[in-house]
Amino acid sequence: MRKMLCQVCKIREANVHLKEIIGGEVRELHLCDICAKEKGLGEPFLPSFSLPELMLGLTDLEIPSSVEEGPECSGCGLSYEDVRKKGKLGCSLCYQSFREYLNPLLEKIHGKVYHSGKVPKKGKKEYRLDKKVYGLREKLKEAVRKEEYEKAAELRDELRKLEKGGRA
Amino acid sequence: MKFQAMANTASRWLKGDGPEAGIVFSCRARLARSLEGFPFPPWAEESKLRRVSEKILDAIKKSHYLKNARIIDVSELSSTEREFLLEKHLISLEFTKGGRFRFLATEEEEMLSLMINEEDHLRLQTIFSGLQLTEAWRLIDRVDDELEENLDYAFLSRYGYLTACPTNAGTGMRASCMLHLPALVAARKINDILKSISQLGLVARGLYGEGTEAQGDFFQVSNQLTLGLKEEEIIDHVERITHRVVEQEKKAREALLKRNGIQIRNEVGRAYGILAGAHLMSSQEALDLLSKLRLGMCLELLPGFNVQTLNELFFLVTPAQLQIREGRGLSPLSRDQLRARLIREKLSKVR
Repeated sequence: MRKMLCQVCKIREANVHLKEIIGGEVRELHLCDICAKEKGLGEPFLPSFSLPELMLGLTDLEIPSSVEEGPECSGCGLSYEDVRKKGKLGCSLCYQSFREYLNPLLEKIHGKVYHSGKVPKKGKKEYRLDKKVYGLREKLKEAVRKEEYEKAAELRDELRKLEKGGRA
Repeated sequence: MKFQAMANTASRWLKGDGPEAGIVFSCRARLARSLEGFPFPPWAEESKLRRVSEKILDAIKKSHYLKNARIIDVSELSSTEREFLLEKHLISLEFTKGGRFRFLATEEEEMLSLMINEEDHLRLQTIFSGLQLTEAWRLIDRVDDELEENLDYAFLSRYGYLTACPTNAGTGMRASCMLHLPALVAARKINDILKSISQLGLVARGLYGEGTEAQGDFFQVSNQLTLGLKEEEIIDHVERITHRVVEQEKKAREALLKRNGIQIRNEVGRAYGILAGAHLMSSQEALDLLSKLRLGMCLELLPGFNVQTLNELFFLVTPAQLQIREGRGLSPLSRDQLRARLIREKLSKVR
């Protein structure tokens, strides 16, 4: 069998393998003994481990160095590098300021999903509309990918109507 | 020292009157919320933390559920007093670090509480006895609605409620159950169970939540993901899996009694003997022995004992609670002595 390298150090052979199925999507993590121990996975008994949290740590390492000179959050003035080092976002606007990095990270943690739980009563209508628009956009992308242009045109018209209605 | 009265009254959920309370020690729902326009607490200056705390304290006063809550300024507490609140499951390990403008609000029965300026501006929680996650969710949902009337929560349609750590975004909800699984531990099946739990999207932690070890055969299981599912779906999922674990523990208990009846009786009896006769008792030893006693009580090997007595015993022996009760700091040796005495007294009242 081909040797698999540790996803963290990319030097040693991976011999700790974690697998998790969420919403039908399989996610795997392969680590060497040393990196696994650093992630709190070294003990034979695991009182606490969470794949999303580990993923969060791993993704940190994958951020390209160019990010260091990246933009600052318009809300709190932090850079993504600051946020990454501490592992905590600076303010709620960071979710928009750093969406370029956060979207893939959130997808990695939670899967490709849209919030479907409760929403604040203030602005409930708006949130519902946003969700509809997002759903239609995703369908439109899919239709274009499959080259179903008639369907795509219908979806586009529906989207336009919805967006106009929402803004009015 | 503060909280002496609190040390002498048990939290409502310790009464053990919920469904499956023999195995499910407690269940809990937690919501993380942030206020629009303020930096998250890990980055915020004191002036912002103060403003946030004022806003939330004001919303608490207007809340029907929380208006009579006790407000505790965590920065005024000693480390023992903070430890005590952690032992009561009212604050998190993170919160024991303290800091200015950090508050705990808790209603009298301690079923409903909230932390101000923990990792997020607001962390709301409800704790119930046994497996009553749906009830825990219903209550927390109503309190959340009420607080929202006077607070502007940070929210995005796509990512839901926004939190300092992206692992909490979306519903901001953690639904958890504290399970007592001595038979699965004894049968060496616990690792397999925990592994399958994690494959089903749940995470297992120790007695005091994140970053703590499993002690006394207690395991806290909770949902890993907070985004993409409805709160009710998360609750339902955690509840279902907990039910399955409860069934497994019940089977393991029956099997233990059938196959190793004499051994179990022996262990429970010895545990009782040591607890009833010891004059020095460390908290680790007490937890281990009480875990056996709790198992014995559930297997009806200990007439006169009930879940409430056992739950209270567990709480009685924790280090900070002993010192709060005595009203002063105690050396480890005097703690062990006091712990042993309290256990002896409590046991003598039962039989």
